[in-house]
Amino acid sequence: MKLVRDTGLLAWRRAQQLLRNPVWLFVSLTVPLLYLALFTPLLKDIPAAPGLGGNVLDEFLPGILALLAFTSGANAGFSTLFELQAGVIERLRVTPASRLALLLGPLVTGMVSMFVFDLLLVAVGVAFGFDVHVPGLLVLAVLLALFYLTMAALSTAIALLTKEITGFAAVVNGVNLPLMLLAGVLLPISLGPSWMGVLAHFNPLYYLVSASRALALDVFSGGALWQAFAVLTPLCALSLAWATRVYRRAVA
Amino acid sequence: MSGVIEARELRKRFTARGNVVEAVRGVNFVVAPGEIFGFLGPNGAGKTTTLRMLTTLLAIDEGEARVAGLDVTAEPAKVRERIGYVSQLGGADNLATGRENLMLQGRLYGRERSHVAARVDQLLGLLDLASFADRTVKTYSGGQRRRLDVALGIVHEPEVLFLDEPTTGLDPQNRANLWTHVRGLRDRGVTVFLTTHYLEEADALCDRVMIIDDGTIVAEGSPRELKRDIVGDAVVLRLGDEDGASERVAEVLASAPFVHSTTQAEDGELHCYVDDGPAALPELLRRFDAAQIVLRGISLSEPTLDDVFLAKTGRSLRDSGAGVAV
Repeated sequence: MKLVRDTGLLAWRRAQQLLRNPVWLFVSLTVPLLYLALFTPLLKDIPAAPGLGGNVLDEFLPGILALLAFTSGANAGFSTLFELQAGVIERLRVTPASRLALLLGPLVTGMVSMFVFDLLLVAVGVAFGFDVHVPGLLVLAVLLALFYLTMAALSTAIALLTKEITGFAAVVNGVNLPLMLLAGVLLPISLGPSWMGVLAHFNPLYYLVSASRALALDVFSGGALWQAFAVLTPLCALSLAWATRVYRRAVA
Repeated sequence: MSGVIEARELRKRFTARGNVVEAVRGVNFVVAPGEIFGFLGPNGAGKTTTLRMLTTLLAIDEGEARVAGLDVTAEPAKVRERIGYVSQLGGADNLATGRENLMLQGRLYGRERSHVAARVDQLLGLLDLASFADRTVKTYSGGQRRRLDVALGIVHEPEVLFLDEPTTGLDPQNRANLWTHVRGLRDRGVTVFLTTHYLEEADALCDRVMIIDDGTIVAEGSPRELKRDIVGDAVVLRLGDEDGASERVAEVLASAPFVHSTTQAEDGELHCYVDDGPAALPELLRRFDAAQIVLRGISLSEPTLDDVFLAKTGRSLRDSGAGVAV
């Protein structure tokens, strides 16, 4: 099928680029590693906080995986910007390649590299006492993929619309911090006042983080899991549709 | 109409900060199969916008365009199969080799790997890329990169090739080299549509030229026809600064029956068009001398496409912010 074939070709192209210039791969891995190394130790002495029972890593590592999906997705637009300014996007748009494939190709590569990092982070976590629950983590992988695709599609579309780095960086940075703080990545939102909890329910990252905590403990019951799928699946479809539409019109 | 490219009343508007700018204002033309068709005009005249509409990159606001017999708005996907496009930026992958770039491009057109590999070998020879085909593109010189860009545009053997400012930034030697390659493509039956703001390029390379200014076509024909319409040669006068000089010069020119017409360029030069330059020049000098007019300069030139542009728009293309090849 044309879509699969074109996506594969473009995914492989991006993979070659990454392997030839691997510097930024390490850059994107440093953030989650720093959180693990420099934030987790702070949590050890507040065991009394509600929602922070048992091993600190069991609570915290799932949040880091969600955070990685968030940041790697949000940063996907940087390479789009670069390729837009280098005329690559325009060259590809004149070929008969599927428009959805033009969008998805690089995202597939980005998603695979994210999963490699996820495995690395889990391995590091295990060394420090993280308890691996395989079925939960497999379901979590699906959610992480959905969320990564959503963020990366939105980021790509915003890059194509803003066309240059200052506008793009302003949007991405402006959205990054509030979404992250209102998701309970670092500490559960339940620690805060109720208005924060209300706001958090408008933040898709919040659903991912909540579900990731449950899944890391192999908890499939409760609302977190189905809520996450109910929010993230349509959001992902909408984002991909919108970004493909923007791709059709993008001109440097 | 029976052209490979046909445009009828093409229009495009952009809205920038609340102002509506009409970039292309009702453009009509037909490009015949197998010709090199040049779109000449200053920067911002609407060349690239027109090109982007013809290549499916930009939606057409009004009018109709057919490329390779297909309606661009109705069947963009089929049009893409049959055209090649090389943008000003080129857009080759810097981190990939020339061969890898070409392989991917060919595969994106749905061709099988073995088929593409054979075609790539052929192209590497055709465009003199073979000796550095397996180096990454970031090591290429300007001329090498441009030839790769052209190769990327024709990997699928399109009927029509669009080139947007193909030689901008190239030195004269590489420019002439690329012209040779473009002529070679024409000789193989490819119709080439190119934009340029280099007069010399339009003159030397194109079978037919269309001059666009401010979104409107002001002249169309072969370079020879266009220059012939100007009639004869141009005598270029540069006047002194004293009061009334231009009025007195105008009187002299009006009294000289062999001067067909006169236009004033923005830099103050007067271009007088005459049938026979070598005969007119001494006669004009005698008349200026008799009228006691001191000129700062006088020269004779065969008409160029710039004279055509000047005659049609009242401005010189050289003054319109366009770089000129030397």
